[in-house]
Amino acid sequence: MGEPPDGQPCAGVFARAWAKAVAGTSYLPMTHAQLELLLQRLTDLLAEALRAEPLDLRVGHKVADELVAAHIVSAEALGRTVEVIQLRLVRDLDLVSDDIEDRMARLLGAVATGYARALRDRTLDEQESIRRAAMTARVEAEQALRASEARFRHQANHDPLTDLPNRTLFAERLAAAVDGSAGSGRRVGLCFLDLDRFKRVNDSFGHQIGDRALVAAAQRLRRAVEPHLVARLGGDAFVVLVERSTGTGDVVAVAEAALAALSEPVVVDGHDVTVTASVGIVERRVAGTSPDDLMRAAGSTLHWAKSAGGAGWALYDAERDGREQARQELSAAIPAGLERGEFFLDYQPLTSLHDGSLLGVEALVRWRHPRLGVLRPDKFIGLAEETGLIVQLGGWVLAEACREAVGWTSTSGQPPYVSVNLAVRQVRRPGLVQEVRSLLRRTGLPPNRLQLEITESTMMTTSEEPVRALRALADLGIRIAIDDFGTGYSNLAYLRDLPVTELKVAGEFVRGLRTPEALADERILASLVSLAHALDLTVTAEGVETGGQAERLRAIGCDAGQGWHFGRPASPDHILARIR
Amino acid sequence: MYDYYLGGSHNFAVDRATARAMVAAVPQAPLMAQANRAFLRRAVQFLTDAGIRQFLDIGSGIPTVGNVHEIAQLHAPDSRVVYVDVDPVAVAHSREILAGNDRTAVIQEDLRQPDRILAHPDVRAMLDFSQPMAVLVVAVLHFVSDDDRPAEVLRTLRAALAPGSYLVLSQASDDGRDEAERAEAEEVYRRTDSPLWVRSRAELTGFFDGFELVEPGVVWVPQWRPETPESAEDAERAVFLGGVGRLGG
Repeated sequence: MGEPPDGQPCAGVFARAWAKAVAGTSYLPMTHAQLELLLQRLTDLLAEALRAEPLDLRVGHKVADELVAAHIVSAEALGRTVEVIQLRLVRDLDLVSDDIEDRMARLLGAVATGYARALRDRTLDEQESIRRAAMTARVEAEQALRASEARFRHQANHDPLTDLPNRTLFAERLAAAVDGSAGSGRRVGLCFLDLDRFKRVNDSFGHQIGDRALVAAAQRLRRAVEPHLVARLGGDAFVVLVERSTGTGDVVAVAEAALAALSEPVVVDGHDVTVTASVGIVERRVAGTSPDDLMRAAGSTLHWAKSAGGAGWALYDAERDGREQARQELSAAIPAGLERGEFFLDYQPLTSLHDGSLLGVEALVRWRHPRLGVLRPDKFIGLAEETGLIVQLGGWVLAEACREAVGWTSTSGQPPYVSVNLAVRQVRRPGLVQEVRSLLRRTGLPPNRLQLEITESTMMTTSEEPVRALRALADLGIRIAIDDFGTGYSNLAYLRDLPVTELKVAGEFVRGLRTPEALADERILASLVSLAHALDLTVTAEGVETGGQAERLRAIGCDAGQGWHFGRPASPDHILARIR
Repeated sequence: MYDYYLGGSHNFAVDRATARAMVAAVPQAPLMAQANRAFLRRAVQFLTDAGIRQFLDIGSGIPTVGNVHEIAQLHAPDSRVVYVDVDPVAVAHSREILAGNDRTAVIQEDLRQPDRILAHPDVRAMLDFSQPMAVLVVAVLHFVSDDDRPAEVLRTLRAALAPGSYLVLSQASDDGRDEAERAEAEEVYRRTDSPLWVRSRAELTGFFDGFELVEPGVVWVPQWRPETPESAEDAERAVFLGGVGRLGG
């Protein structure tokens, strides 16, 4: 059976019927002819088993295994297989014997058992395989997600240009380092580093090269300060976090390593780009400090390093910082102090050396600070000049002096004039003349009762504006005095050009009068007085403390004196009492 | 779902539930799947007979039984096959099955982004684009909407092929369907993640633009070079139209 005359295998009538029965019950990955050949082979196995003695049921299992292995794997395929074997196998193959029904039943039972078993195994294998695939896919998806999360986290925490940690990551790490739960003895340090004049690199080479120099600098920094965290805060500012410092020396060493790493020129695109840096160092115990404190201190210290000329480091100094901070606070409080009326004026007499009469008074500003008490001008005028608040403050002093002086009347002739200091910024400000003019109109103070004191430095400008303003003021009849004459450049040229009416000679020339070494001072004073008189100027000597000094000054020919000998600065009431 | 119709167990409860719903709507659904798979088998055999040794099977799904490499390597052991599928589970499963077969590769890409497929390093490593190959887009185009420009996708693939290459296409078609059946089948697929875009014979023929269709052209898949005359009977019940085109020159 199954062997055609030409030797080619070919399916018999039973195998063909079997193939027809199972075709289409599931997808068969073979041609119909291949299916017939397979089933012919299985037919031969079954026929042999039915003939053999004893009946080998394992043949039934084997046939079932092969069917399932060939992907003949449906319930229908089993049903039709049982049916076609039972109906046709014995007849088509002529397998008659006494116990054939019995043998057939047992063999079919073995086929059905083997098929169910093989199909179950195959199903379980396939289920397991697809679950494994699903799990793999999920694991891969999670890995991809984690990788992309990690990428996003990195981007969120790093500077895109240099790939250094950014401000966010630095803030996190600093907060963790300063965390209160850390041991109380733990110390921490910061190096706040800024490249000196980096803008120049950008300006001369362009931003592209500037950026690449920044990247190179960042890489060097990172290597130089390892394992400490170095972050780019933006621009050309970096910060190194030194955790678990054992003392200032640790952090200074880090700063020096950083400066050394940056000292070699970077070659970018054939350009030698040399950068230096300044570092502000702060190092302290973790207990009692905060990230904000540390950063602020490091920032101030960096500023000190910069003002010291750059290319170096500065170490935080609490005392210096305290002073600067106090000055800062005081300066910031000036506008509110003006608004709340915390400033007031004292007046110091300017006394005639000829007859002892009160010629004028100098207005001196005081600040009744709510916390610090009454402050003298040396505590706050410098600050106000630095910040520009002097314009506002000086304007108030001028107005207040005019307002008070207009009420002074004298029973014995001309009431005293009031002398007010004008700061450089006030003189250089356009609109000064207008301001003074309207002030005089508003208060009714005669111009000749107002004297404006300017310093020599006011005139040290190439601009014509201040000179023109002073001329206009002098033309109104206002007196113009040069304050502290003899301590600055004492440029005689402006005595010729300016409408000055008086020289106030600095107290240091007066102090030495009547002592053996005072000969030079006395000669200088005498020359100044004769020079002034030759130019039609009057001379007031400042800092007159004794009667002897007053005597000498009078002998020299000096016109007026100011100082403790003639009266300390006092309230307007005292002045009024003096002129009545 | 497809695997379930083919009699496999590489499937999940949700697939089986959808598959059974589909059978309720379209009783011949398993037959469709089987006919389509048989078409793939005959087409790959035709291609190996024609001397093709490189295959790019896009939208290969979960390869269960009768995979391209099994058929091709049975006839021509030096055949190389790259499987492409968008579904990560299908890709993971393919990798498992193909482990150890160094003439196959699997990549996770989308048919709608043919440039990415063509540029993929694994594809470039396995297939030589200077030599003819077969691109198989079998039983997957009906998942590509017109908005995703299937014709353009196929043009992009064609442009990368050497003369003498082949394109095998099959997809669900509503040619000769009645309205009720069409609506019901579409409704079932709409409830899955994969809406169905059935197309006419003319549209499918249009996708072969630039190729010469080999005999018998675009037909119901059982009619494509059937092994026996009986197997092509009632061919439109298979729902899938298919065809093979050759790039001339």
